[in-house]
Amino acid sequence: MHIRRLTPLLLAGCLVLAGCGGGAGSGVGGGAADPNATVSVRLLLEPTSLDITKVAGAALEQVLLDNVYQTLLTRSADQKIVPLLAASYETSPDGLTYTFRLHPDARFADGSPLTSADVAASLDRARAADSTNPNAKDLAAVTSVATPDPRTVVITLGQRDTNLTYALTNRAGAVLKKGTDPATLDATPNGSGPFVVRQWRRGSAIVLARNDNYWGEKAKVASVVLNYIPDFNAANNAQLTGETDVETAPLPTLLDPIRADPDFTITQGITSDKYVLGINNTKGPLADVRVRQAIRRTLGVVGLSKILGGTYKRIGSGVAPTDPWFQDLTSIDPYDPASAKDLLARAGFPNGLNLTLTVPNIYPTTIGDYIVSQLKQVGIAVTFQPVEFASWLDKVYKRGDFDLSIVDHAEARDIGNYANPRYYWHYNSPVVQDLYRRATTAATEGERDDLLKQAARQISLDAASDWLLNPTDLVVLRPGITGFPTSGTSSRLNLSQLAATSKE
Amino acid sequence: MAVFALRRLALLLVSLLLASVLIFFVLRLLSGDLAQVIAGVQATPEQVEQLRHQLGTDRPLLAQYLGWIGGVLTGDFGRSALSGVGVSAELRQKLTVTGPLVLGSVVLSVLFAVPLGVLAAVLHRRRLGLGITATSQLGIALPTLWVGLVLAIVFAVWLRWLPAQGFPTAGWSRPGRAISSLVLPCLTLALSEGAVLLRFVRSATLGVLSQDFLRTARATGLTRTGALLRHGLRNAALPVVSILGLQIAALIVGAVVVEQVFTLPGVGRMLITDVGNRDLVKVQGEVLLIASAVLVIGFLIDLVHRLVDPRLRVVG
Amino acid sequence: MTGVWRSLGGRIGVVLVGLLLLTALVSLFWAPFDPTFIDPRVPWAAPLTGGHLLGTDGSGRDLFSQILVGSRITAFVAATATAMAGVVGVGLAVLAAVPRRAGGLVGQFIDVLVAFPTILTAMILAAVYGGSVWTAVVAIGIGAGVNVARVTRAEMSSVLGTDYVLAGRAAGASTARIVRRHVLPNVAPVLFVQLSLVLALAVLAEAALSYLGYGTPPPTPSWGRMLQELQQFVTVHPLAVIWPGLAITATVLGLSLLGDALREATDPRLRIARTTHAGAHPVPRPEVLP
Repeated sequence: MHIRRLTPLLLAGCLVLAGCGGGAGSGVGGGAADPNATVSVRLLLEPTSLDITKVAGAALEQVLLDNVYQTLLTRSADQKIVPLLAASYETSPDGLTYTFRLHPDARFADGSPLTSADVAASLDRARAADSTNPNAKDLAAVTSVATPDPRTVVITLGQRDTNLTYALTNRAGAVLKKGTDPATLDATPNGSGPFVVRQWRRGSAIVLARNDNYWGEKAKVASVVLNYIPDFNAANNAQLTGETDVETAPLPTLLDPIRADPDFTITQGITSDKYVLGINNTKGPLADVRVRQAIRRTLGVVGLSKILGGTYKRIGSGVAPTDPWFQDLTSIDPYDPASAKDLLARAGFPNGLNLTLTVPNIYPTTIGDYIVSQLKQVGIAVTFQPVEFASWLDKVYKRGDFDLSIVDHAEARDIGNYANPRYYWHYNSPVVQDLYRRATTAATEGERDDLLKQAARQISLDAASDWLLNPTDLVVLRPGITGFPTSGTSSRLNLSQLAATSKE
Repeated sequence: MAVFALRRLALLLVSLLLASVLIFFVLRLLSGDLAQVIAGVQATPEQVEQLRHQLGTDRPLLAQYLGWIGGVLTGDFGRSALSGVGVSAELRQKLTVTGPLVLGSVVLSVLFAVPLGVLAAVLHRRRLGLGITATSQLGIALPTLWVGLVLAIVFAVWLRWLPAQGFPTAGWSRPGRAISSLVLPCLTLALSEGAVLLRFVRSATLGVLSQDFLRTARATGLTRTGALLRHGLRNAALPVVSILGLQIAALIVGAVVVEQVFTLPGVGRMLITDVGNRDLVKVQGEVLLIASAVLVIGFLIDLVHRLVDPRLRVVG
Repeated sequence: MTGVWRSLGGRIGVVLVGLLLLTALVSLFWAPFDPTFIDPRVPWAAPLTGGHLLGTDGSGRDLFSQILVGSRITAFVAATATAMAGVVGVGLAVLAAVPRRAGGLVGQFIDVLVAFPTILTAMILAAVYGGSVWTAVVAIGIGAGVNVARVTRAEMSSVLGTDYVLAGRAAGASTARIVRRHVLPNVAPVLFVQLSLVLALAVLAEAALSYLGYGTPPPTPSWGRMLQELQQFVTVHPLAVIWPGLAITATVLGLSLLGDALREATDPRLRIARTTHAGAHPVPRPEVLP
């Protein structure tokens, strides 16, 4: 039997009493945390809707998951999977049955208890045949969700799935009250989390207020104002003038004024973002692995990282540091323009070739400009086509009509895309597909990680794409702010530990 | 006069209808569809198809058009498929920024273009007049967006008197800050469009200055200034009013650029975002609003023209 | 031609436009650096360092070379868009002025199209076909062309109502012949005036469209897009923005001064008006006889 125990996350151990006592835990600045504080946070991308069952996008997950809605399991600050709504869980030895025991006090913001019926209803809705949940596929292996008693949920799988627990920490595992009408989700979200949505001023801010009915350790601040400031200069300004207490996703090239101020702290964490140079593996000259390798060897991204502010890491594969099977594969196809030219010649293109680069215009053109400039050095003439995201979805993603493309694949643990020959890269490797299949149905996580490491290595050797950069997660904090997440903040922002001392 | 007004009104309504048809069908040319954007990268084609059905984008075009225009006629511009918010509500909210921006710019540009234009005409042979004319020539050549950038650099980055961009999230409930956010944008538009207006005022006044009736007025004992003010300006006003109408239309468009430079949450920026999202219901509403504003202004100008110009009235 | 040179404005206009054409021409053969070459070693270099006359931008690209090569796009778009505006304008005007009943409908259509901002056309074209030089050209061509059509149509209608045209029709001349021999030549001066205005406006419009992202895509340098790329860093490197803006202003100024001077030199009506000023020695005008 495989038993997971409660983690300190839910222990009522470290309460901060109102008004007296020192600040709890480590953090910046001293003084007592103010339980009536309102913390103002700058976020970059505003969600278009709060309907978590239908509308895709990391922006919703950032606001809602862990704060308003909760999942059976969640991820800790160091990316480990830990129980949340489930006080404990067990897995059967054959890996086909997961039994979750819900926390006895769990309840929704309106006071009604959270029972297994709610969990089952949410999971069933997410995995239904006509589900509109963008993460429905994550629950594909689930054959049934049973509720033997109000506190127990039994998930049965048709085959092993080493990704299930991870899937349950995401949107597919969000627990909504049974019978919730999705049409009302925009206006009246009723979740079980430590915050409720008090107000949404579209185009500017979402205000989260402490859920006083929360079943666990109450939030340490009275409210959090999530300010959506897409412009990087304005965001800096807001932080420098004190309008915001926390600035997420600052532009690294604009950080000098912030760095010059000794009061501000800039935390650094890891992200699951991967700026991928997607290569259409079946198109013309790109079908030849030597051409793809040549492209990889021409793109020395150290210079690119410098231009972008220096806080980017090279990664050698489609695996980000947030994934358990991460390994450094940057030694495969390192920067070597001379050998790149040689490879091109041997592949039959001694005079170079012409390619198009299709990029959604939500990214700074610097990256595309850089690719064009670099590839020019080995004779590859690139036509740069910035397109709107909707056009990119249609042209590149849906129809696969492209040569090269740059997109930030922000999801963690998405190596499975390389095992899908229909994914827009058209990379079809039976070896990798087999490794992935075995990893999904592996008996232990260690086995899974080994298999996926092999898969990642193979993908890299095949030069299926070029993985340009992995950004460092930067967050600017004013003195007195503690408990703010430092990693993966663009897709998950767990504010349950956030505390603030009052500003001078 | 009444007959003219009615006929012109009918013309306006036909134009509005034509505009709505044009907008609707041209937008359908756009590639990429909203359902895919909402469903995101993880969804299956079946899910996208289902979403399309939910959104109603798989109905025949004519049915969709009639559905939309029927709503518009009752004041309901529909709901954004992406956010579910009513389009009219959003338009109203964004207009609280764009409206004052355009209005402020019109007022400012008139305030500085009319007196200076008249002055330039009256003094057209003196150095001051020539100086004003030359400056306005330069003003027309300056790209609006550059004027905005330079003003932002001087007043926001260097002097720190005004905000470089943005509009307070609290909106007009903090009027002081709201106004200070609009000062530079209004100034930018006013300077750019005002320069054009100045030229027209100047040439209209010049034209009037050389007319006979002014000489007659002077012969009756009025001073040059008096004659100008009493008789000349009224005649110069006519072409200036028409130009003002065209200018307001140009200002509405210039507002799109200025909103981008100063990141103001107005109709222009919302339009750019919505086109990018393929949120066609919103785009339709916004474009219809802009086009209608221009058409209505044209209609009002025609009426004013008709009222003020005695020659036209006689012809009937 | 000498008439143009006579006025100060005309002289400045010729010099500036000449400079633009020269720059565009030179850029075809030479530039100090490749404007698209990204050099991570020298971001934001100050002017006059390392051979960079005006310094470099955030990616280490030489600003002077970008402006040099960008002049090509400006010249091209201005010329082509104006030509297109002329064709569209005359074409629509003829369709609106000549046929009796259908003409009215076309006229109505023109009035509605005028209400559509050029930016919108560009936005939609860019959304369908992607931003490009041609998007800017077509959008400006249509946007300006429709305005040209409106003015030209009025002129055409008045020409069509003159006696000699009516006489021509009575004599059996075909519509095409009348248009060719009488309408077009008489409309030409008005058209010319309109197009000279469009030329200057096209440069401004191209800059605005490129700034918004609907024009020339990277990496081809374009003055408008340079402003957009440099804007973000205005708080840390404000001065780089000056150069592209100066280039645009100089070009538009040159074109409009030149246009003014050409108009004054060629339009006889204006020449007489210029010599008649209230307050100067009154010159008896032909119509007013004491």
